[in-house]
Amino acid sequence: MWHGPRAGGISNVKRSGLVFGVMVVGIALLLWAGWHNLRERKLAMQQAQENHVVLVPEKAGTATQADSQSPAAEAMQMRGKVAPAFTLATLDGKKVSLSDYKGRPVLVNFWATWCGPCKVEMPWFEEFRKQYAAQGFEILGLADDVDAGKDAIAKVAQKTGVTYPILLTDGKIQMAYGGPDGMDYLPMSFYIDKSGVIVEETAGLGSKDEIEAHIKKIVASGAAAGAGGQ
Amino acid sequence: MTGLKAFCVGLLAALPAAALAAQIGNLDAPAVKPKSYVVYAAEEQSVTAGKRSVLELHFRVLDGYHVNSHAPKSELLIPTRIELQQATGVRAETMEYPAGTSYSFSFDPTEKLDVYSGAFTMRLPVVAEAGAHTIDGTLRYQACDHAACYPPKSLPIQVIFTAK
Repeated sequence: MWHGPRAGGISNVKRSGLVFGVMVVGIALLLWAGWHNLRERKLAMQQAQENHVVLVPEKAGTATQADSQSPAAEAMQMRGKVAPAFTLATLDGKKVSLSDYKGRPVLVNFWATWCGPCKVEMPWFEEFRKQYAAQGFEILGLADDVDAGKDAIAKVAQKTGVTYPILLTDGKIQMAYGGPDGMDYLPMSFYIDKSGVIVEETAGLGSKDEIEAHIKKIVASGAAAGAGGQ
Repeated sequence: MTGLKAFCVGLLAALPAAALAAQIGNLDAPAVKPKSYVVYAAEEQSVTAGKRSVLELHFRVLDGYHVNSHAPKSELLIPTRIELQQATGVRAETMEYPAGTSYSFSFDPTEKLDVYSGAFTMRLPVVAEAGAHTIDGTLRYQACDHAACYPPKSLPIQVIFTAK
């Protein structure tokens, strides 16, 4: 009796069916693993949010625990780039352009009236401005919260002893220096060398020594006529 | 050989599924930046109908941040405050804000701030008619960490409670 091929055919069909079944189970397991992972992470996140005892940080560096892209980590985006050009009004309505300071080292500092750390460093800036004035160093303070009103901005400038130009931002300048969402953190400082290139960018308050080191860097830089947004 | 082929086909079929599973798993990967520095713990509450009762609104500032209290020590600082909408059948009194705690930036210990950090609770006295109620509102706050500050934010909230 000849029945081998027929029996073999049935066997192959069965085997294919089995393999298909295994594949389906495998895919289902993978999908379930993904879903299970997502659920576990959500639960863990909820639990973490519910149970965390919150401590106010006292020392530098702790904030990075809360934000994987902390100000310090993000303060690298403009370094090495030509400083975007701008023309903004002072509190008196006078127009000031970055290009007015072409060939000079400039610190562009974004701040706001509600920003405590900003107000700490502003007197330091004023001090350094005087110290490095002979080398052409200038500071432009760009008020990020124009909606606070000129009076409030002027009051903070006066209280912090600032005499360098305070400029009113226009929304576009924040995007040019901070990206599509503008300034996510304050203070933000951009140290522009004599050739118009941002050689250092800092987010958040650093130490007075760090600030001076950055200033020294741009003061010591060589001018390259015609370069940069200045 | 057939088994090997089937395995390879199975593997090829499973790879996109694995990639899909990985993508599903990444949906709640840590955000690049927190969109909110304060979270609201919504919880249903019960009060006595027609009688003055106090609703509690529980908030928590994310680890590593603080927000100004409702009464910061400088007029230039942005206080934490809540704006509530009128809800039918509910007469709400003035919100009772908690007292803040003293905080100084390590780089300027002389300046004392008044802040909320961690969990804080606001209390809202209400008189409500019997039934289920929802009060919509917005928490306005401005957060800082140890060295930087973040633009003012708004957090929509809902106070859900039943008066029996």
